[in-house]
Amino acid sequence: MWTMWNELGRELDRVFRDFGVGTFTGAAWPRANLWDRGSELVLQAEVPGLAEKDIKLTATQESLTLAGERLAQAPEGYTVHRQERAPLRFQRTFGLPYRIDLEKVAASVKNGVLTVTMQKASSAQPRQIAIKGA
Amino acid sequence: MERMNGTTRADAAAPRVDIYENKDELLLVADLPGATEDSVNLHLDKDVLTVEAKVVDGALPGTLLAREWKPTDWRRSFVVPDTIDRERIKAELKDGVLKLRLPKSEAVKPRRIEVRAG
Repeated sequence: MWTMWNELGRELDRVFRDFGVGTFTGAAWPRANLWDRGSELVLQAEVPGLAEKDIKLTATQESLTLAGERLAQAPEGYTVHRQERAPLRFQRTFGLPYRIDLEKVAASVKNGVLTVTMQKASSAQPRQIAIKGA
Repeated sequence: MERMNGTTRADAAAPRVDIYENKDELLLVADLPGATEDSVNLHLDKDVLTVEAKVVDGALPGTLLAREWKPTDWRRSFVVPDTIDRERIKAELKDGVLKLRLPKSEAVKPRRIEVRAG
């Protein structure tokens, strides 16, 4: 299982290197997808059991950091037969391939999925280039 | 190994679960990110309980730059002991986490036995 993630990590690094952009860091949780929608970037991460108050989100123009914790939830008075949902305290930083406008970042959590929408900085917005005839 | 830019859905994946027990019930907690109340299906057939949840692919238009997870449907089955009272199984879903309570039938709960003087 971990070999697969290492391979995926190398694949991702290769993809980003090819585009000359930053990489996701090696920390494994939470897993995220990143979309480029032209004028904005959208990151979606799986964060089951976490509500808004459990996640701390910080952004710089070039990165997004997710931090928080989900503690062991063994309820009082129960014996444990199986525990696959490890308690965790996490902090993960994602390098962004484009600079973003810090005034225009929106985030929401629903059904255990965090969605962060980041407007690209105006200098990073795609723009039409007029081609002049000779 | 799945291809990075593939658009096919992965098959249903087994969710991670915690299983706890006290004198009254078995408590099963499962991570089902992306599942909603309407999309979770619990099915009990003889002594096999199957937890299933469909997850809508929130694939957004645009270019995918990095993909570490695919929205998958969830599915996992468990053998339920005879000692469980099937009529009273309860489920609750919050923030993508399912809590399943399987109460033990009264007949099997530990009970004090009175000792009478002979």
